[in-house]
Amino acid sequence: MRYRGRRRGKGIVIVAIIAALSFIGASYWKFAQKSSDLQSLVDDSELKNVSFEANITEIKSPQLGIKAFLLEDTENPIVSISFIFKNAGYASDNDDEDGIAAMTAALLGEGAGNYSAIQMKEELESRGIRISFNADKDDFTGALLSTKENLSKATKLLNLMLVHPRFDDADINRVKQQMISALLRQKENPNQVLQLEFNKELFGKHPYARNPLGNKNDILMINREKLQNFVKDNLIIKNLLVGVAGDVNREEAEQLLDIMFENVAQSGRLNFVRDADLSFDGRIRQIDKKIGQNITLRALQGVGRKHEDFYPLYVANYILGGAGLNSRLSQKIREENGLTYGVYSYLLLDDKAPLIVAGFASTADKYNEAEKIFENEWKIFAQNGVSQKELQQAKNYLTASNNLRFASIENVSAMLAAMQKYNLGLDFLQKRNDYINQIDLDDVNQVIKKYFTTQMVGVRIGSF
Amino acid sequence: MCLLACRDAQAKLFDAQSFYLDNGLEVVVVSNRRAPIIKQMLCYRSGSIDEKVGKGGSAHLLEHLMFRGTKKISGQKFNRLMEENGAESNAFTSTDVTCYHQFMDISRLELAMFAEADRMNNLQISDTDFELEKGIVYQERKQRIDNSPLALFGEEVRRVLWQNNPYGRPVTGTEEEILGLKKKDIETFYNNYYTPERAVLVLSGNIDVKTAKKLAEKYYGSAENKGEIKNTVDAKVFSELKKIQTKIEMALPDVKTPRLLKMYASSSYQHEAENVYLLQVLAAYMGEGETSKLYKKLVLDEKIALGVSVDYNPLSRSYGIFSISVMPAEGVKIGELEKSLEKAWEEALRELNLDEVQKVKQKMLSGLIYLRDNPEDAAYVVGVMRGIGVTLEEIEQQADKIREVNYRDVLSVAKNMIEISPQVTAILYPEGEKNAL
Repeated sequence: MRYRGRRRGKGIVIVAIIAALSFIGASYWKFAQKSSDLQSLVDDSELKNVSFEANITEIKSPQLGIKAFLLEDTENPIVSISFIFKNAGYASDNDDEDGIAAMTAALLGEGAGNYSAIQMKEELESRGIRISFNADKDDFTGALLSTKENLSKATKLLNLMLVHPRFDDADINRVKQQMISALLRQKENPNQVLQLEFNKELFGKHPYARNPLGNKNDILMINREKLQNFVKDNLIIKNLLVGVAGDVNREEAEQLLDIMFENVAQSGRLNFVRDADLSFDGRIRQIDKKIGQNITLRALQGVGRKHEDFYPLYVANYILGGAGLNSRLSQKIREENGLTYGVYSYLLLDDKAPLIVAGFASTADKYNEAEKIFENEWKIFAQNGVSQKELQQAKNYLTASNNLRFASIENVSAMLAAMQKYNLGLDFLQKRNDYINQIDLDDVNQVIKKYFTTQMVGVRIGSF
Repeated sequence: MCLLACRDAQAKLFDAQSFYLDNGLEVVVVSNRRAPIIKQMLCYRSGSIDEKVGKGGSAHLLEHLMFRGTKKISGQKFNRLMEENGAESNAFTSTDVTCYHQFMDISRLELAMFAEADRMNNLQISDTDFELEKGIVYQERKQRIDNSPLALFGEEVRRVLWQNNPYGRPVTGTEEEILGLKKKDIETFYNNYYTPERAVLVLSGNIDVKTAKKLAEKYYGSAENKGEIKNTVDAKVFSELKKIQTKIEMALPDVKTPRLLKMYASSSYQHEAENVYLLQVLAAYMGEGETSKLYKKLVLDEKIALGVSVDYNPLSRSYGIFSISVMPAEGVKIGELEKSLEKAWEEALRELNLDEVQKVKQKMLSGLIYLRDNPEDAAYVVGVMRGIGVTLEEIEQQADKIREVNYRDVLSVAKNMIEISPQVTAILYPEGEKNAL
């Protein structure tokens, strides 16, 4: 991606100098590694100067004044729209309505206005329109994918779902049965059991401990009135963020926003969810069960997306457990000792309890050895931090892979909505590689001392 | 709305272009100009069905060892090189193909082509790496299959349906087979099958054919065909199955709700290929999504099931697989469900007419455009389909082929399948609850 230098004034000079310095540094290092013959395949590639500019604009609908981020892309005649109703996720379900966000997500597309559930689905299918809703811990989200040709119809149907959902009894009853059956089936898969038990262990009485599908008793008590109240209270303009991507221009997109969100309530009554107060005291809960392979999940305190430590912590985690087979954990446990198929760590950016999560799986005969190496590597990492070489490798990956986020138009619209949630700014894509490149070794090693030295909380399932 | 008679811009699925190098390597180019990114996917036309009896898991273990170094890019350097260059690199093995792929910035394509071409001919397997990777694929089998009751169930059903055919063996190999593999087995497989004339290279992303040709020549042009097994690209590998109609029941401790699965050995692109699109329409009509006939009848009307899905996979060098799976509503006995399914199926066939089939076709056609969106999808579709020998022309003409389907032919192929195809009815139930069903 190219920088939009014209707008950056004198800032561009500084950026150019930094870029030149790191280039020399990087190529010197590579020369010293004697891999310059391979590096030349990149440096001399005839494909190295393909130009690319992703111009994100902020748009505003003429009537309702709804703002959104837009990326126009005419490669294919299709459009994707992602939207987030902030703070309407399942953690904010009323205490006696645990599961209502998930149930609403399942029912909104089941019929609206004059369309019965089946008529709605037939209308969508025949036009190739895809509309989906989902409730995660923090937010209630939705997505629309349509051909350009059917876009106007698609946005009208979405509006019907948001404003006139039918919640017919037959549909409510069916979805209840399906959710209760899904609750049962969660127990068939050891990894899902682990995830649920892990959330309970970690979050205790905080609503993050909930099952994303809710609980059976509450589900059975949910009725049309409760669902309607959920929509009225939670799916509101005040909390709405929208990303639009694809073959649609500014003017068209602005008008679509008015159609999609016409008559959606301006404000409502959102439940407040407090920050989770977690104690990381090294406790590991063990669940004894005969399964094919022992599995475990561990967590430490992390930071949110807007926190100043986010980028250094992101890079630190990448080196420890985020770099696939090249991560330290994979190298030691998988590549050098063959004890697992998968070991990983990642940052979980949930609003009320950001975490560093790690996990692995290993057969009972190898598990203890794998766990010992895992814990030892974690300790070494926390004590000694990372090397300049590791930092450079991480930066190389993170910056060179930056454009892969444009793979699908749905990715792009989801990213546009997330950029607003985290206040990343319209020029985030232009700045993002700078954020990575500006991190130095001290930054990373300081956050490692700060976050990785505490004790983990975990759950393990299997034969020990 | 563009209905059935109309031929729009979507007449071709991808507008792909292809050419062959002198050494027989086929290259397919799918252009997508949205961003400066590209997917390289190299698919070898060999998978688990090409393994020798008792050597199950060879193709998959080889796939793992391909990341363990060559003379030029030794040890773990391949993975490091991909990482430093921001490439998402991975591979997968199936019954028919083994594919290696990198998704990356276009500026790194040449490097990835060099590295991929290098390991086509120059793989070096050390004894240590071999033992380590054997341990890792063993762990992978444990993770994917043994920790998933549905995967174990599926493995059993395929074993029964496919009788002694190689398609009945698990792609991972069995536990015993994996542990018994020798380095020589893997080297033999590599030498026989990893050759340019048994491979198809897909470049999907920001590139034109001219550049692709130049670069393919430059990096893959000198790859050699040294194997004994010659090109079998579009040849049929087919042996007839006994016409069994078997019923199996399986109980597993962690299963919480019963399942009913009916699986038929049916037509594929390589076996009675004229039926492929008929069966695709049949599957969509019967059980794809919540507007399908079986869903309407069993879930919405009778409320005897909570979910039903029909799946048809014609991608095979032998039979294709048509399957129906149903999850009963609470308290519904499996025997009752089986009868209702049979009745619903017959009713649905009686209701099949011109209008119905047009609705189904429209539903199938309306989603095809999205396949052009993500260059990773196009690479996968083209790589796997060409890998089992479906011609590029056929891949491109999906929409037209679906439009041509006649409902009377769908009826007769459905009847034929139910009556004479090798088939298994399988029931999975929670341990200890069999009698309650």
